[in-house]
Amino acid sequence: MEQLILDLKQQIIEVLNLEDVKPEDIDENASLFGEGLGLDSIDALELIVLMEKNYGIKLRDPSQGKQIFTSVKTMAEYVAANRTK
Amino acid sequence: MIKIAAYTRITNRSVVLNGEKIFTAKGENSLNLTELYRNRGIDYPKFFKMDNLAKSGFLGAELALRTLGLDTVTPKKGTAVIFMNSSSSLDDDIAYQQTIKSGENYFPSPSVFVYTLANIVTGEVAIRNKIMGESSFYIFEKFSANNMQSIIEQAFTNTSLDMVVCGWVEYLQGEMDVLVMAVQRDVVRGDEFNTLNINKLYDIK
Repeated sequence: MEQLILDLKQQIIEVLNLEDVKPEDIDENASLFGEGLGLDSIDALELIVLMEKNYGIKLRDPSQGKQIFTSVKTMAEYVAANRTK
Repeated sequence: MIKIAAYTRITNRSVVLNGEKIFTAKGENSLNLTELYRNRGIDYPKFFKMDNLAKSGFLGAELALRTLGLDTVTPKKGTAVIFMNSSSSLDDDIAYQQTIKSGENYFPSPSVFVYTLANIVTGEVAIRNKIMGESSFYIFEKFSANNMQSIIEQAFTNTSLDMVVCGWVEYLQGEMDVLVMAVQRDVVRGDEFNTLNINKLYDIK
């Protein structure tokens, strides 16, 4: 799980162009949206693409997103349970 | 009288701010917009999410407006943003096409897609500077000081307008050609906003 969390942090930094952020700057339990990393709605869409492209996960129910994208840790748990690649 | 109170000229080789060369490209390489951003000590993380057209216009406006002592907090109802270029958002359109060209690797990028409109750059400048006035982006076949003067003078017929952030913001496949001016009414500083002076600034390479 630790490796997956690190991978996700690196992928988030890359796809969201968080140039001044390093993996160690991201608290795996901190909110991705609002107070935490301060991501916006376009970032959320980019994370959905990331899940499909890198892990073969298609999010068909948008209401799931709020729970899955709470933090890097919740993303990692969902990826670990549902990945197809 | 309408005057050019401040300007930024950005080409592949250099950046000239109000007549002073403030940044040059390294060696044979084209100028790097992120290096320019860091070199000028600008702190606006959203910059990194912009496409190259928006980065070009943003930096042009950012450098010019800061020399006028304008802050980024006060709402500016009497200011407009009017840009123009010839290739619209083609640079970003090409980048977006790369994300959808393969059936097997079809992952349209939302963050690239949002910049596939040229007028997004006017929005970025307006948001950064709390500019509340008109925002427009015109597409012309090529740079024309006559068109620019005509459009900006027309904008100033709105008597509530005291400044227009305007100019030519062109970026395509690594080629940048940017002249951003802060044009103001009834100010002491600056040269008159006319075709002669616009061309003079555009000719700076």
